[in-house]
Amino acid sequence: MRLDELRKIRERAAAELRLRGGASRIKIVVGMGTSGIAAGARQTLRAILDEVTRRDLRDVVVTQTGEKGLAAQEPIVEVHEPMRITIYGEVDEGVARRIVAEHVVNGRPLSEHVVESREVPGDQPPH
Amino acid sequence: MIEDLAMHLADLVENSLRAGARHISVALRRHGDWLEMEVCDDGCGIADRDLPRAVDPFYTTKPRSAIGLGLPLLAQTAEGTGGTCSIARRTGGGMRVVARWGWEHPDRPPLGDIVGTLVPLIATSPEVEFTVELGDDRGTWRLRTGEVREHLGEVPFTHPDVLRFLESALQEGIDTARMKEGE
Repeated sequence: MRLDELRKIRERAAAELRLRGGASRIKIVVGMGTSGIAAGARQTLRAILDEVTRRDLRDVVVTQTGEKGLAAQEPIVEVHEPMRITIYGEVDEGVARRIVAEHVVNGRPLSEHVVESREVPGDQPPH
Repeated sequence: MIEDLAMHLADLVENSLRAGARHISVALRRHGDWLEMEVCDDGCGIADRDLPRAVDPFYTTKPRSAIGLGLPLLAQTAEGTGGTCSIARRTGGGMRVVARWGWEHPDRPPLGDIVGTLVPLIATSPEVEFTVELGDDRGTWRLRTGEVREHLGEVPFTHPDVLRFLESALQEGIDTARMKEGE
């Protein structure tokens, strides 16, 4: 394994963090429970990570979670911002790419796919 | 539907994640004429009473599950190539699944995108430590995410540079282990 490569990544990321002055701007959570996977969550997750890499989004964190209790609307994707959590339903690969491009990059949620949107206390970090 | 070995692998790793595993080890090995896939975890496993039914396609413990065909189908494709599939509880907790296919057998499913399957699962499960071993008769290539994390500190695995690193590292392992169709 090329450990010096990891060291460089770490140094660069630390410099980015200093410039940004804080932790990650946005966290994206993909529901990867059984019903989500059956509904295509694997492709959704891969599309999101592909967009993160392609667009070089260095202030975004992506994680997965189990069942979200919204089985009828899976795959489910949540976008956590410092003041707001937006939950999207029926996120196929195409919608996933649009969520990254329009919401995460340009700050415009895709209202037609939003299941729920709620404000969160601003004094908490997004994660 | 599960069509290639990478999808079987995804299915096994997702089972381990759902079982709350903190350590998951994944191995793909070419031994002689065989291809072996092994997934071990330290999750909550399958209860003794359910184990005999683990390969029964009509049995699942998941509520209103749309799938549940994962393990039966895995056993079926492995056995269809003259291979085997074993599902066992590990002493001390967790599960161990080992499947073997005849590498040259015409019914062996294609490998599929192993790298593209593993990287998203590894990168988005920050609380889980993965060990990936890719090997053949000559040697073993190994990646431990704990080691990667030590060198990265607070940088998340979904940072684009880390995603690219994981992809190229795993691809290197795949090449080292000659995991390529037609070779």
